[in-house]
Amino acid sequence: MPMTEPVLTKRIPTYPYGDPKDRHAVWYDEYVKTGGYEALAAALEKEPAAIVDTVKDSNLRGRGGAGFPCGLKWTFLPKDYEGQRYLAVNSDESEPCTFKDRMLLDFDPHQLLEGIAITCWACGLQTAYIYIRGEYHEQAVTVQKAIDEAYKNGVFGKQGLMKGKVDFAVDCYLHRGAGAYVCGEETGLLESLEGKRGWPRIKPPFPAVAGLFGKPTIINNVETLACVPHIVQHGSEWFKSLGCESTIGGPPSYGTKLMGVSGHVNRPGVYECDLGFSLRTLIDEYCQGMKGGKKLKAIIPGGISMGVLTADQVDAELDFDIGRKNDLLGLGTACPTVLDEDTDMIMVARNITRFFKNESCGQCTPCREGSGWIYKILCRIEEGEGTTRDLDLLLEIAGSMGAMPGTTICGLADGNNWAVRTIINKFRDEFEARVKPSLVPVTMSV
Amino acid sequence: MPTITIDGTACEFEKGQMILQVAKANGIEIPHYCYHEGLSIVASCRICLVEVWAPNPRNDYKLEAIPKLLPACQTPAGEGQVVYLDSPKVLANQKQVMEYLLINHPLDCPVCDQAGECYLQDYSYRYGRSVSRFEDDKIKQPKKDLGPTVYLYSDRCIMCSRCVRFTREISGTSELCVVGRGATEQIDLFPGKALDNEMSGNVVDVCPVGAMLDKDFLFSQRVWFMTSTPSIDGLTAGGDNIHIEHNKGTVYRIKPRTNPDVNKWWISDEVRYGYKHIHSDDRLTSPHRAQHGERINTTWPSILEEVDSVITRMVGNGATVAALISPMLTCEEAFLIADYAKGWHVNRGQAIIGIGPVPVDGEDRTYPPTAKPGDANAYTVRAEKAPNARGVKRVLAAMAGDGKGDLSEPMDFDAWLEAVKAADIVIITGNYPNDWVPKELTRAVTKKFVVHVDTLTNGLSVKADVVLPSSTWAEKSGTFENVDGLLQVFEQAIEPIDGAAPEGRIFTHLITLAEGKPLTDAPHYDAGLIRQRLAEEVGLTEFVDTISIPVQIQKAEPDVAIVDL
Ligand SMILES: Cc1cc2nc3c(=O)[nH]c(=O)nc-3n(C[C@H](O)[C@H](O)[C@H](O)COP(=O)(O)O)c2cc1C
Ligand code: SF4
Ligand code: SF4
Ligand code: FES
Repeated sequence: MPMTEPVLTKRIPTYPYGDPKDRHAVWYDEYVKTGGYEALAAALEKEPAAIVDTVKDSNLRGRGGAGFPCGLKWTFLPKDYEGQRYLAVNSDESEPCTFKDRMLLDFDPHQLLEGIAITCWACGLQTAYIYIRGEYHEQAVTVQKAIDEAYKNGVFGKQGLMKGKVDFAVDCYLHRGAGAYVCGEETGLLESLEGKRGWPRIKPPFPAVAGLFGKPTIINNVETLACVPHIVQHGSEWFKSLGCESTIGGPPSYGTKLMGVSGHVNRPGVYECDLGFSLRTLIDEYCQGMKGGKKLKAIIPGGISMGVLTADQVDAELDFDIGRKNDLLGLGTACPTVLDEDTDMIMVARNITRFFKNESCGQCTPCREGSGWIYKILCRIEEGEGTTRDLDLLLEIAGSMGAMPGTTICGLADGNNWAVRTIINKFRDEFEARVKPSLVPVTMSV
Repeated sequence: MPTITIDGTACEFEKGQMILQVAKANGIEIPHYCYHEGLSIVASCRICLVEVWAPNPRNDYKLEAIPKLLPACQTPAGEGQVVYLDSPKVLANQKQVMEYLLINHPLDCPVCDQAGECYLQDYSYRYGRSVSRFEDDKIKQPKKDLGPTVYLYSDRCIMCSRCVRFTREISGTSELCVVGRGATEQIDLFPGKALDNEMSGNVVDVCPVGAMLDKDFLFSQRVWFMTSTPSIDGLTAGGDNIHIEHNKGTVYRIKPRTNPDVNKWWISDEVRYGYKHIHSDDRLTSPHRAQHGERINTTWPSILEEVDSVITRMVGNGATVAALISPMLTCEEAFLIADYAKGWHVNRGQAIIGIGPVPVDGEDRTYPPTAKPGDANAYTVRAEKAPNARGVKRVLAAMAGDGKGDLSEPMDFDAWLEAVKAADIVIITGNYPNDWVPKELTRAVTKKFVVHVDTLTNGLSVKADVVLPSSTWAEKSGTFENVDGLLQVFEQAIEPIDGAAPEGRIFTHLITLAEGKPLTDAPHYDAGLIRQRLAEEVGLTEFVDTISIPVQIQKAEPDVAIVDL
């Protein structure tokens, strides 16, 4: 059963259910009037373990990029552990072309706070840190105001969790990043929260066992946590009625998803759709087609780290199987960037790799050196000074880096790897037209 | 014990050991840059990646390949695993990492101090590819003056972060940090700080490449011209294991020699840079004597014969002999000097024996500063600035206790100063790296016949009747006993500087003369033979049984065949 009414965007008017012109920040009173914090009240009536079970049963998968089952992650916390535990809310949203969490922070911060409160209650986490990307100045002000309201109204603090209904208190703090993509990687985020350089950690140990300040820590994305109140309130069966099953025998993609479309379309913006929504419908109907009637050339489906789709792949379904079905790394943040026929794919590749070479934290040799090298080669190719040999070299360098082949610590390098490889492989003729042939002088003995 | 197979060799391991550690313990090389035994594991350089096959409990414990390459430095060894070091994936990664590390490296080996002992060079031969495919412009990084002891040539740095971890985890001073991101990131000083701590020189040792450079050693030698002699610190009581590196009779640097029981991987700057007195202009280089208020240089045979005849004459008139034995000397030398002194007192009173002043500077300091006293992983800078106070005492006490009564119990310096009043002939040894002679000593020995054996000019050497120039610990071999009672042998690194002779040889010669034999009959001074005498004659069997003798490290064989032409 496809979604019939907005879930996450219930209070954030969004096409086709409402008009974005009517958006405004929903503060505590309005939030409560429209049914807010009912889920928290219901959750406080239940055993924490029952809530974890519900979320696990709902098959909610992480909305931060990796799609890891949220409830399962929660069960990795050590049992019979009495001490301090943390929740780290990943609000770093630095993936280029991604701006879905921002909308939740801008207009419905209490939805996130309610999700945080329920998660902390369910998992026994005493302290939550919202790690917000440094560039989100206004959002930081909004969220801080909402946190203050929540403290005043008995959600957080000593007399919190609905005015002391339960014998448990949660503190919630906002922490602003300083502008590093890698601090969105969960362990880089923890290092940064601890006041250190945002260098992703080697795993194991996993954060659920030893995370922030060495204590058990759950890390979830903003949108993931925003789903939690709805699941608690309406049950896991309801959640499973949204979204789709896997058609290739993988785990299902239940629920709705925010999709932030940017690029050469008539009506860019954030939309809420079922997982499994058709990319073509999203572009043609929700976004009202290509700008200026131009032809579609490529789509970067979920942040630049996932790779690209060609115009032929526009019928792809936006769910967690999209990677395996379309030679991509994965769904990522599900924020597609649409490129029209006038786009120079070499420039796109060069621009993407510029991002990765700037954002590599510099720990792992392949990512640090490889990302800089790739960028230099692409600059050369863009200027017409590349050779065909460079294309193979690019594929080799890109292919050698990443946490998936095991050559790097975190997934940033995988993003670079997939972006470069899929662009070159899927648009190779364009590259070949730009480079010079690599001639081997005939007289040279090889 | 569980077993893991690495590169075809079955290796036993203890739970918790990493694959790299197991390999190391079994003599199997896995290349590594960021891993250092004494520092935390960061697994960031990625040269150590290996392919692992592991028994899968969900599939009847059948061996299955783990699809990712794994860092050997950070992957715990598991029972029944099989580790491949030369699979195509592993080799490809090694080649790739080597190529990456060199694309922004200046390749200035010809002017780099590290050349010849550089892991970029070694691994390039063993794991790299012979050509680079990098055609673009290299990133240029600055050279930095980090502090009193170290320069950083950032462009040679491979960002292994060992130096940063050293200042955080061992010296506890945290002067170094990483700034910037991506390929332009650099090691830098924390704003407002300088790399100025008493352990600073170790960052040069931990640096696997030529980025951290020792100012003291800068451009002074190509390392392949130097010989590296295993030795023991001759300046403090810690007994730190060191290498003395020298060429043509000149010491160029001191490096730590790993010993998990003593100094771990480290030495303090005091031990590292304290060797300067070896080649000081103040070294005594000719035996000389006082004559009518003048100092007359003379030759070794004539001065030794003169000493012998003067002492023989005075003893004939009933003179008493006193000797001050420096805690800077070896156990073997202490034995010979005491043996010489007591030889004049057969059936005739006692020779008055004392131990020279033992300098102490402040208190022991432990690194990391958070370590508790006695922590097995800590390194301690010793406040006691003499290498062998215990060893000298051990030998002298045993000799005095042999029942013959010809030797006094070893006295400490103050007691000896009192007792020496009764003596007529005084033998004083020094060998301290500085002007050590207190006024009381000069005063106490005026009007006596003073034989002064020392290395540096000082207030006594300009007054003593006879001055015999001796040599520093680098110029001889012997045994020191450190604060923990560990007896450690060290080898002679360089020949004694011109005109000087080790105390051991000087007293071997004097003993020969005292026995009425000519100098030409003097035996060769051999510390090993003296240790045997210590065991046999004085009953100190530990000098033969439990003593720790340094293992000469193997010099790397050139991998290019040398062809005779
Ligand atoms: C380089 C890199 C950057 C990331 N940036 C973000 C981010 O900005 N926001 C986010 O929610 N997750 C980000 N992630 C994913 C997180 O590591 C982590 O998987 C996620 O926060 C887990 O939350 P979820 O399970 O709720 O999705 C990033 C991952 C990588 C490798
Ligand atoms: S993969 Fe890149 S960003 Fe991630 S830890 Fe390694 S160097 Fe840093
Ligand atoms: S200076 Fe040397 S030790 Fe420090 S990070 Fe660079 S290569 Fe490593
Ligand atoms: S030694 Fe293992 S990654 Fe550096």
